[in-house]
Amino acid sequence: MSDPDPYRDVLGVVLTPERLQENLTSFDDIRREIEKLRQLDLTDVHPAILFDPTGPYRREGGK
Amino acid sequence: MTQPLWAQPIEALAPRLRSCKLSPVALTQACLERIEQVDGRLQSFIHVSSSALDQAHKAEREIKAGRWRGPLHGIPVGVKDNYLTRDMPTTAGTVAPGITFPMRDSAAAVRLRNAGAVLIGKTRTHEFAWGNVTPPVRNPWDLTRVPSGSSGGSAAALAAGLCTAALGSDTGGSIRMPASVTNTVGLKATFGRVSRDGVVPHSWSLDHAGPLTRTVADAAHMLSVLAGYDPADPACQAQPVPDYTKALRKQVKGLRLGVCRNHFFERNQQDVERAVERAIDDLAARGATVHEFRLPLLEYGLGAIFAIELASSTAYHDVSLRAGRTPHFQPDVRSLVEIGRFVTAPDYLKAEQYRTVLMEALRKVFDTVDVVLGPTTPITAWKVGEWTVDVGGKQESVLAASWRFTYPYNLTGLPAISVPCGFDRNRLPIGLQIAGRPFDELTVLRVAHAYEREHPWKDELPNL
Repeated sequence: MSDPDPYRDVLGVVLTPERLQENLTSFDDIRREIEKLRQLDLTDVHPAILFDPTGPYRREGGK
Repeated sequence: MTQPLWAQPIEALAPRLRSCKLSPVALTQACLERIEQVDGRLQSFIHVSSSALDQAHKAEREIKAGRWRGPLHGIPVGVKDNYLTRDMPTTAGTVAPGITFPMRDSAAAVRLRNAGAVLIGKTRTHEFAWGNVTPPVRNPWDLTRVPSGSSGGSAAALAAGLCTAALGSDTGGSIRMPASVTNTVGLKATFGRVSRDGVVPHSWSLDHAGPLTRTVADAAHMLSVLAGYDPADPACQAQPVPDYTKALRKQVKGLRLGVCRNHFFERNQQDVERAVERAIDDLAARGATVHEFRLPLLEYGLGAIFAIELASSTAYHDVSLRAGRTPHFQPDVRSLVEIGRFVTAPDYLKAEQYRTVLMEALRKVFDTVDVVLGPTTPITAWKVGEWTVDVGGKQESVLAASWRFTYPYNLTGLPAISVPCGFDRNRLPIGLQIAGRPFDELTVLRVAHAYEREHPWKDELPNL
């Protein structure tokens, strides 16, 4: 069995090698900003998005 | 001097419409003629309603019969092309095959119709409300420049007098940036204040619906109609809706103005910085107190909003990605949608954790201030096709610079308005941004209106 391709099989990126390279180049500045974010220690911080099991019940009267 | 009908704000038009001294038909006709005259150069509308005059006639009949619905009755409103409408097609700015949207009214369209507004047409958005430009729309203050984006069609149409108010949407600044560079007012209310039902999603936890208007009073009138709980939008909150016009005419004496000296004042075009500093001084001279502070956490904001916005947009467009439709997207949007796959789930969640700490840091700031002021954008309108601009003597990418001051309020969901605060040396508009506590749009409007009263930049019109 061949090794999985990290882009196609792991990230689900199905692109030609040329297009993939273009996108990686475009992503470079953004990647640097995300890399900065990774340096923060937020271990004990709950994400801002909260799971709300009551949503469907509140929306019952909606469209 | 009385301005032409197409240039007048709701606050001037509504009393005359109500008293039948002005016909909604004449007003709508004036906007339609203006569209005919100048939109060939601006390209701000993608669709003009074939029923605009019928809607105006209906408004006229109702007003004459004594059934006045409020200040928006008979007012022509442009609708950004990512809001669904039952009688006009929605494209969200895309021509990609296989992507269609239902012919039904978004919650905002329903509210505007119920208020008697004339939905005069659909204004151009950059594809799927991505980006800080709105091709092919041009800025009425200089046709060689962009009106920013993604609500650039709404801002250009409004600034040029093609409608009296407009709807925009704001994921990282897309209402406030176009307002800033076109001398109009753009209001992003608190996340959850205005329903996004029927607005084509871009990034669920960052998207806001809201108005662009000529004046702060008009923004109050529009928000009074648009605000309110809607169970069809899972993020909408059942908070009481005050009468926003009550914020108008109040003084700023005693209010505490926060000014964040890092991030917002580190790199601006010189004329922008001068205009905003002058605005802060002027408000202080009328009895407000200025409280300077620093928020070092903002250094991490760009990575956070990119992680959330890219991941969300890519999730929304996943079907299109797998169906091979993205090559039909505009090149910049195609890239952004495709590269969202590079954002990992831990990066996304880290960004959501970051939002918690940023919201908490700003809550502490708002313990000591009532609003936070600064520039809306560090730059004025840039040339079409320009990808880097001079900001404070340094070349910087437009993508990084343009939304630097707006996205913090999308990450935190706080209400923020852009109000005209002068022109640069090239006579390009500058915007002052005022942000407030959650659901305290009243104070935001109060400060904006107090500034506008003394500095009627809104009365300046582009020379088209």
